[in-house]
Amino acid sequence: MATDAVVDAVKRVGLDAGARVVGVAAADAFRAGVPEGFRPEDILPGARSVVVAGGDGPTAGAWRCPDHRVMEITGYDLRENVAIHAMCDYIERELGHYAVQAPSLPVHGHEPPMSMMHAAELAGLGTRSFAAHIILNPEYGLLYYAALITTLPLPADPPLAEPACPHPGCAAMYKRIGTTPCLRVCPACLSGTMKSARIETSTYDREKCHSRAQTYGIGSFQKALLAVVDEDDPARRREMIHSDFFAKSIQSLGFFRDSIAQCFECMRVCPVGRKHRKLK
Amino acid sequence: MSMPTDFPADATTRFKALALKSGATLVGVADAAAFDAHAPAKHRPVDLLPGARTVVVVGGAQPRAGDWVASSPWLLSTMGTTERIQGVGRRLAQAIESELGYYALFVPPGTAAGEAPFMSLMLAAELAGLGTRSLAGPILNREHGFMYWSAVVTTAPFDVDGPTTDAACPAPACRDMWEREHTTPCLRVCPLDAGGCLAGRLEGDRAVRTAYDAGRCHTRVHTHWVGGFQKVLEETLNEPDRARRKMLVYGDFMTRTLWSITYSSTNIAQCFECMRACPAAHGLKEMR
Repeated sequence: MATDAVVDAVKRVGLDAGARVVGVAAADAFRAGVPEGFRPEDILPGARSVVVAGGDGPTAGAWRCPDHRVMEITGYDLRENVAIHAMCDYIERELGHYAVQAPSLPVHGHEPPMSMMHAAELAGLGTRSFAAHIILNPEYGLLYYAALITTLPLPADPPLAEPACPHPGCAAMYKRIGTTPCLRVCPACLSGTMKSARIETSTYDREKCHSRAQTYGIGSFQKALLAVVDEDDPARRREMIHSDFFAKSIQSLGFFRDSIAQCFECMRVCPVGRKHRKLK
Repeated sequence: MSMPTDFPADATTRFKALALKSGATLVGVADAAAFDAHAPAKHRPVDLLPGARTVVVVGGAQPRAGDWVASSPWLLSTMGTTERIQGVGRRLAQAIESELGYYALFVPPGTAAGEAPFMSLMLAAELAGLGTRSLAGPILNREHGFMYWSAVVTTAPFDVDGPTTDAACPAPACRDMWEREHTTPCLRVCPLDAGGCLAGRLEGDRAVRTAYDAGRCHTRVHTHWVGGFQKVLEETLNEPDRARRKMLVYGDFMTRTLWSITYSSTNIAQCFECMRACPAAHGLKEMR
């Protein structure tokens, strides 16, 4: 097992490269909750550790912008990926162990080869929330996660003892009126109950959320393309092809990195990490 | 602008240094209110960020000297470098919030709707004193010429740089050429009256643009990308012959168009001729 100094050095490389938080999970910790084929050792033989980096999403200024399109195309820099690559380089070059970025983009349907949400939980960086089960970091709230898998045995960080959700303010609100800011802002996609200031049940209608949060993207392009192909009237077809909806759908494919989602309402009302969104 | 009492006196210098360290060639600050006189409503800094005081503008990531002299026309159209300057903008926005505690909004690249950007980065660069409009259109910096821009709208009261009066265009070589031949490199390479996009003249040391055919320019600069895909898709669907349809789908045009959509952030334009000909755009420095 590597020393604390080694793990600190790895984390420092990640933080210096732009990660907001870095945590470590043991590769074998994934066995309990992850089906075979989606575990770190299925991606890197001999995997011992998973290092997870959380990066900032939209700035506080972007959250305040009254033009909703800015949040849709807010120019994420996804620094967590850069941090992961910097740490991979460090582990391979300086420490002589294999290190790969964990694949996180869906390869079929919505299924990634490895869950970054689960990796963040196991690395002690956050816990699932009422809000679309998004992982919330207790200090920063919404972060974006990337991970690396390595054969380097690093001491793991424990999962958080106290969940980030519900926030004390939400627990108090639930006690008063039986709901929370996120459940109230999006009762269509979210539902849940709380008991003793802990999440008791939580349901998230992913398909409904997807149709709102990703109105543009691969799905909308496929939908619009099928409608175009099925249209027999050339004039109408032309109108559909050059329409704003179709053009935006194509643009969203191009700007996939910048246009990640088109609905942020459950996160906009979330008090976890709000202090970082409340500025001068 | 009322200056909050706790705003560090060295903040402007410090953040300009951070921008340069992060990869910007130039950095300047515009007064958010200065946009009101030039930008339409909904496209001003305060429309994006309520309470906006300043706009920090960074410039850089321009094609290198080697890119301009490369003999392949595809190099500049597929190896764009704008992404690098956007990264600097994003980094500044995060740093302003985390280090100073003021709101900062990275102005998204691309368009908000149609051809209209969220906020004009060219105007931002002008108001931040980083460059001036050229006869060809792009903002040129007197020292570095053509560059790409990124901007951060913020409530932080940075010290403001005024617009510069020291225009990069016309360059001395263009003034000489105008005297000799009554044209300039950009006007000659793309003349409006001969199927091109530009028309203008020099009045003393001042460049006066008299016409610019944006529609025509667009069909050249953006031969691929979203518009190209829409065009070829319509053509394919209207084609009754099955074999010809297959040819269109697998054709070079469709293939390049799909590539350009995928790499939209690096494949910004497919015509650079007015800038290639411009002596102010990329300097006259000879390389080995």
